[in-house]
Amino acid sequence: MDLYALLIQNKEIFKILYALVIVLICTIIVFKSDKLFRLSSHKGIQYFRNAFLFYGIGFAIRYFFDFLLFQSALPGYFYFVDELFEYFFIMGGFFLLYSLLWKKIEYPGLEYTSSLLNSRIVVFHLMALLIVVLDFLWGGYLFMFISQIIVFFIASIISFSNYQKKNKKYKFSKFYLLAMVLGFFAWVLNAIAEEYFSWNQGIVINVYILNLIFFLLFLYGVFRIRKLAK
Amino acid sequence: MAKKRERLEVIRDILKTIRQNRQIKPTRLLYASNLSPQMFKDYINELITKGFIRLDIDKKEKKSFSLTKKGNEFLEEYRIIEDFVENFGL
Repeated sequence: MDLYALLIQNKEIFKILYALVIVLICTIIVFKSDKLFRLSSHKGIQYFRNAFLFYGIGFAIRYFFDFLLFQSALPGYFYFVDELFEYFFIMGGFFLLYSLLWKKIEYPGLEYTSSLLNSRIVVFHLMALLIVVLDFLWGGYLFMFISQIIVFFIASIISFSNYQKKNKKYKFSKFYLLAMVLGFFAWVLNAIAEEYFSWNQGIVINVYILNLIFFLLFLYGVFRIRKLAK
Repeated sequence: MAKKRERLEVIRDILKTIRQNRQIKPTRLLYASNLSPQMFKDYINELITKGFIRLDIDKKEKKSFSLTKKGNEFLEEYRIIEDFVENFGL
């Protein structure tokens, strides 16, 4: 039996394992980056931490949702949890992009009481809410896919520019670029799988693999940077 | 023309100066920091608020700054923070 067939046959178990691994990775990244933020008060680190906090919560919601559905939970539960998962996922993408852009948007000395909800971030919350509502009305994830494809396309361009400027001194910048490009392709594949292939299992598995590599690259980066700096 | 220092670099320079001197008078630190008096005041207030440095006043009412444990920890972790910010383009 090939690997794809094995994964498809046991997809519910693998989906839960997949979500658990990503929740674990996000938790580690959040704690590691939070420690650095508390020392430095660097806003970029703070927004980066928030991105993985939202991804982690999103996947945790999905994990419980999958687990409960697997255990034959109430069908009415589905929509609420699904929209909630989508909201956290979209916000994760927005925070990741904002962590690259904040220096160009916020003027020096600008202080907020909260990095999760302030006059700049509220725009992202409203956009995420709008996307979730549109997807709910249209029935699907098209608006989320479009928003995240745009987010990761912009993030890939910024990362490429950073890579060109910093690659000689800061070696992880090429992995960061790779992570963003992988994220972009994962969202494109996701959109294709939904729109044209009715969630073809083979394509979905590839999306899962790309996502896993995306999160593992960040985890690798967090550990590698700490190791290199010592 | 020299590149403008980033906020983190300014903080590192101030803390390093204090650590090298163990205790340093405000005027000497101002000169060493190469900042305008207003910016110096803002940075010092921030560093005191965050608990990186403390203001000591002796019996003759003379003021001096010294590094706290948290300030020392920041200097130890500074390279990690710098690498994190630069590698991730934050």
